[in-house]
Amino acid sequence: MALVGNIRDFSLSDFLSLVDRGYKTGALHLSYNDQMARLYFEKGKLLLAARRPEDEKPELLVRLGVLNADQVAQACRLLAERGNGLTLSQILIDTGLVSADRLQQALMSHTEQSVYGLFAWPEGDFLFEHNQRPAPDAPLAPTPISIDHLIMEGVRRIDEWERIRDRIPSTDLVPRFLAPPGEKLKGMRLAPDEWKVFARINGRDTLAEIAQKTGLSDFDVCRAVYGFLTAGMLELVKRQRVLAAGMPPVEQPRLKKSLVNRIINRIRSM
Amino acid sequence: MQTVKMVISGAVNAGKTEFIKTISEIEVVSTERRATDDTRLIKKETTVAMDFGRIAISDDLVLHLFGTPGQKRFDFMWEILAEGMLGLVILVDSTRPETFRETNRIIDFFVSYRDTPYVIAANKQDRPNPWSPEELRLALRQPPHIKVLPCTATDRESVKNVLLELLYVIQERSED
Repeated sequence: MALVGNIRDFSLSDFLSLVDRGYKTGALHLSYNDQMARLYFEKGKLLLAARRPEDEKPELLVRLGVLNADQVAQACRLLAERGNGLTLSQILIDTGLVSADRLQQALMSHTEQSVYGLFAWPEGDFLFEHNQRPAPDAPLAPTPISIDHLIMEGVRRIDEWERIRDRIPSTDLVPRFLAPPGEKLKGMRLAPDEWKVFARINGRDTLAEIAQKTGLSDFDVCRAVYGFLTAGMLELVKRQRVLAAGMPPVEQPRLKKSLVNRIINRIRSM
Repeated sequence: MQTVKMVISGAVNAGKTEFIKTISEIEVVSTERRATDDTRLIKKETTVAMDFGRIAISDDLVLHLFGTPGQKRFDFMWEILAEGMLGLVILVDSTRPETFRETNRIIDFFVSYRDTPYVIAANKQDRPNPWSPEELRLALRQPPHIKVLPCTATDRESVKNVLLELLYVIQERSED
C-alpha cells in the first residue's frame, strides 16, 4: 500500500526520518508544479535521488565527469551480458572502470544536492511505493547514503516557529540523549551553532538554559534540537516531572483489577 | 452507582463521533455548550460540540465515553474531560497525514503531565491508501510499548477491539 500526502503537512525531513527509523525500502515520488523528484531507499538509506528522469540513467556518470561515453557503453554491455541481479555500479567497480571511492563521492555529492533542493519546496504531493527499486542500470551509490545529515539540512531551512513548536512546546524541557550519540554522529555534519548546542546537552539543562549558556536565541537552540530529535538522537523530558508552577504531576487513580475485569467482560460480550 | 470514564480524542474528523456511536448503548448525545473562556472575547456566543455515550457494565457500574471537541479553540474542555479518566483512545484518520501534527499535539496535551493509559486507533483503515499502524507509530513518534491499533470506527468489532486493548493496558496497572 502506498503512502500518500503532501510535504506541506508532513515535511520532507519528517518523511526522511520515518524512512530512516522504519528501515524502509522503496521509492518516494514527489511533485510540485512542473517539477518532479524520485528518491530510492534501501533499508532506510538513500540509493539515488533523481530530479529528472535522466538522473536515473547511466549517462548521469558522464555528466558528472566520472566516465566517458565509451566507458558507459562498455559497462552497459557488460551489465546486459552478465545481468543476474548485478547493478551498474557493481560492474563499474568490478571491471575497474572507476574506483568505489570515486563513484561514491560523485554520486553522494549529486544526491545530496538533489535532495537539498527539495527542501525549498513549500509543498508538493508525495507518494511512497514500498519495495519499488531502481532499474539495474541506474547509477547507484555503492554504499547507500545515511540520511541523518540530510534531515539536519532540511531542518536548517525551517524558519517557522510553528513547526518547531509542534515538537518542542516549551523551552522548559530538558533534552537528553537516547543512547551514546557516537554512531549517529558519524555520518552527520553539524554547523558551529549546532555543535555549541550539542556540547551543552547534559540531560539536566533546559532549552532555555542552553540558550542562555550558548548565547544563542531560543529559536536557534530549538531548531538545532529539533534536528537532533528528528534524526532520532535525543528525547525531551520534563525536569523531574515537576511543573513550572510547582504543582505535582497528576496521579491517575489506581483501580481495582476486579473492576477492570468486569468492564472487560462486558465489552467482550457486546 | 459507580461511573467510570473513558475519553476518545483526536483531530477534527478523525471519527470520534462514529466511534462512540458504534459502541454506545444509548443514542450519542452531542451537547452544545456555551464557551466560557476567552473565545467569548472573539465571538460573543460560541458552542462546543461534545459527544457522550454510555455502556452499562452492571446494575451498579456504568462506563461513560466522552468525545473531545476537535477544534483547537476548545482545548480548555480537554482538561475538564481528562479529570479522573480511566484511559484514553487517540483516534487518527490514517488517510490524512495533514492531521498527524495536530494528533501529536493532542497526545502531548493528555499525556505530558499525567500517567494516562492510552492507545492509538489508526482509523479509516477501510479507505483507500491508509497509513498502516506501524507507519503511524513512526509518523507520530510513539515508542514501541504504545499500542497502535488498526480501526474502522463504523465496525463494532473493531471498536470493541480498541477498547479492550486499552482495558488490557489499564488492567496491567491496576491493583489486586
